[in-house]
Amino acid sequence: MKNISLGFILFFLSINIFAQNNGEIHGDFDLNMQSYIEDATINAVAADEIIRNNSFLNIIFTKNNFSAGLRYESYLNALLDYDDDFKGNGIPYRFATYSIEGLEVTAGNFYEQFGSGLIFRSYEEKGLGIDNAMDGIRLKYKLLKGISLKTFIGKSRTYFTYADGIFRGIDGEIDLNETLELQSKTRYIFGGSFISRYQQRNNPVFELPQNVGLYAGRLNIINGGWNYYGEYAYKINDPVNSIQEDAVNYASGNAFTSSLTFSKRGFGITGEIHRADNMLLLSDRDRIGKAYIMNYIPTLSKPHAYTLLALYPCATQAMGELGVQLDIFYKIKKGSLLGGKYGTKLNLNFSRINGLNNGNSFKNDLTNHEPILISFKGEELYFADINLEVNKKVNKRIRYNFVIANQTYNKDFLEGKTPGEYGVINSTIGVLDLSYKIKKGHTLRMEVQTLIAKQLETASKKEEGDWVMALAEYTISPNWFFTIQDMYNYGNDDESKRLHYININFGFLKGANRFSIGYGKKREGIFCVGGVCKLVPSSNGLNLNITSSF
Amino acid sequence: MKKIIYSLFLLSIISSCEVIEGPYMTGNGGGVDTNSSQYVKNILIEDFTGHLCQNCPDAARELEAIHDLYGSQIIGLALHVGSTFARPYPLSQPKFTYDFRTKWGEELDGFFNISDAGLPKGMINRIDYPGDHRKNKGQWLASVQQELDKEVVFGLNINSSFDGNNSIIDISTDALKDISGDYKLVVCLTENEITNWQKDGVIEDENYIHNHVLRSLITSAWGDDVSLSTNISNGESYTHNYSVNLADLENFNIDYSNNTLFQGNGESGGWNQNNISILAYIYDNSNYEILQVEYASLATN
Repeated sequence: MKNISLGFILFFLSINIFAQNNGEIHGDFDLNMQSYIEDATINAVAADEIIRNNSFLNIIFTKNNFSAGLRYESYLNALLDYDDDFKGNGIPYRFATYSIEGLEVTAGNFYEQFGSGLIFRSYEEKGLGIDNAMDGIRLKYKLLKGISLKTFIGKSRTYFTYADGIFRGIDGEIDLNETLELQSKTRYIFGGSFISRYQQRNNPVFELPQNVGLYAGRLNIINGGWNYYGEYAYKINDPVNSIQEDAVNYASGNAFTSSLTFSKRGFGITGEIHRADNMLLLSDRDRIGKAYIMNYIPTLSKPHAYTLLALYPCATQAMGELGVQLDIFYKIKKGSLLGGKYGTKLNLNFSRINGLNNGNSFKNDLTNHEPILISFKGEELYFADINLEVNKKVNKRIRYNFVIANQTYNKDFLEGKTPGEYGVINSTIGVLDLSYKIKKGHTLRMEVQTLIAKQLETASKKEEGDWVMALAEYTISPNWFFTIQDMYNYGNDDESKRLHYININFGFLKGANRFSIGYGKKREGIFCVGGVCKLVPSSNGLNLNITSSF
Repeated sequence: MKKIIYSLFLLSIISSCEVIEGPYMTGNGGGVDTNSSQYVKNILIEDFTGHLCQNCPDAARELEAIHDLYGSQIIGLALHVGSTFARPYPLSQPKFTYDFRTKWGEELDGFFNISDAGLPKGMINRIDYPGDHRKNKGQWLASVQQELDKEVVFGLNINSSFDGNNSIIDISTDALKDISGDYKLVVCLTENEITNWQKDGVIEDENYIHNHVLRSLITSAWGDDVSLSTNISNGESYTHNYSVNLADLENFNIDYSNNTLFQGNGESGGWNQNNISILAYIYDNSNYEILQVEYASLATN
């Protein structure tokens, strides 16, 4: 890989020299440094290195229909919430792409997603420490008006290497109205995709499929304020390379997602259902862990940004779950009694996710189980969330956001504990976020949050109990901000764990550069983006973040 | 023309998948040719585990299944390590009070950085160090197959005389080709058939049988030199002699649990000398890869 990277750099330089007048180079840089000191009260460990650092620099050259780019990444050593296989420096991402007469050719690394990702999603999410970029060839072609195709072949990245499996994929999409030049008010978009993974394995006892295929079909119908999206996906048998007769699973997998939205000015409603059964696609059938996951089941619960609302987040279970969500948005008109001078925005959201009837599909010489298609009652509850958000601008100086929520979180299941260890936690959370504009350019923002928790059944261990959190942020735009926050676990059953997690943060922004420095304690917890989660260890230390772009 | 070529390309992609119809079990492995030499390539699976680790018994069963398939060429070693899954409950508790951990298990775990990455994990002859040496059970079979194809460069013989607590152990190493490098011999004791608590999926099993549990190392964790010279000729043989006292070794573990290990409680005794085995291996000190391993019962060898 080193030689290839070097080649790309030379290529770049030569392009730059010959095309200085009409090509463009852009880039962005990010540095995340953290010190770790021991703090026995929160189980935080010191880093042998004292400080650790994650950084990257993206450079992209563009000229007309051509672009090429690379990303240099440095983990010396990776922050503790990253997998420690991210280690050292390298250029794990480099690509060149051009398009001509409807054909786009990409060589090198690329990210790709088919449909909503049920059968394939190659993406990066720095917050989670996930990057499964493809390395190979991708072609996109506009076949006819409204018909587009894309195909690729490649291997997927894990850390600084590539996983064993070779992926081949094709995706086609037809915008019927465009293709047939329909004048209809209703718009129909169909899509279909196929993925195949090749991984050679020579199991002496079981016959394993060397090529594992997945396919999916999707439909999007749009009419005025109405929007329907549905997608169904299927995976053929994909057993692990084991020789234990009861561990090998030859069942196929499937998933669907279906949502209907109606929206008009000041009002929106979305109903959604999804189900996944044995639908985990890995880039290497022998491996486990999020670094090898190559498909994505979109999350059903509302992604929360406030700390205590996200204290017990929902991780999507590609191996088996059934969930529903209802989301209603309404804006009370301005000038009305409740709307006030600027109007009031309301958002009610409900989601509920449970397991499949007796678990996911399982099939081998000893068993053959297929769960009931739709079954809510009596199934193991994974997660439920009902919340109401009120967003209001009171006057020119004051605006607030108020959230009240009730969440049910199956800690044993979602965190892989033994059943009966913590059981299911129900928490009621209130958040008030108030902004006050003191004078031009000076804003004070305050958050007060509270979480009251109870364990729904008797369990062998006590969960953390009740929390409060307060935050104050002072912004002098456009250059400065200062934040102080405290999370206090006042309701912990264990008195020695009634701890404060104080964080202070100070930042300076100027133009394209942003610097921030902070100090504080982090609680051990689960952090999720879009239903994909990671465990964040507790820590105590100083952090420095720099971002910049050109 | 371009569209036709493109369509053909698409078709070729779509045809690439295989649905398998049952019965799925098609072979019994067929065994491995063991006639070519006096020695065959044996493979050590170091299974890093813990009695509080609910997924660990699945890995132990995978090890047993691989052993059943390839027979005595597969040698298992269970190392209970770390302060999360292997720590014992306090003696006041009714279960999980036994401390399976050892000084050497902790040392190897620390060096190879295993339990930090989550258990169960295994090493197959310690190949792919550093980086990919920590393998989850799904990788074991493919790694074992890869190792079985390798040339056998050392032979190992274990002889022991057992007299109650005191035993004499002789390990002889035979070079099967001219070889140069820094090779180390490690000798340890394991115990089979220890019945004690284990979390197994959703069950807490009081009668779980723990096999090939690491009890003690007779050498250091990093072993003794196979030969004083870095060049070893084909046919050269060295014998290493060790004498051990089981009661002393057992007491050492009890003291170590009491005094050194995280939340140790001294419950590390109760050894059954009839179930103790000797496990010896040779590794290449340049990359830690284990080149040969042998195993024999202490009392009945």
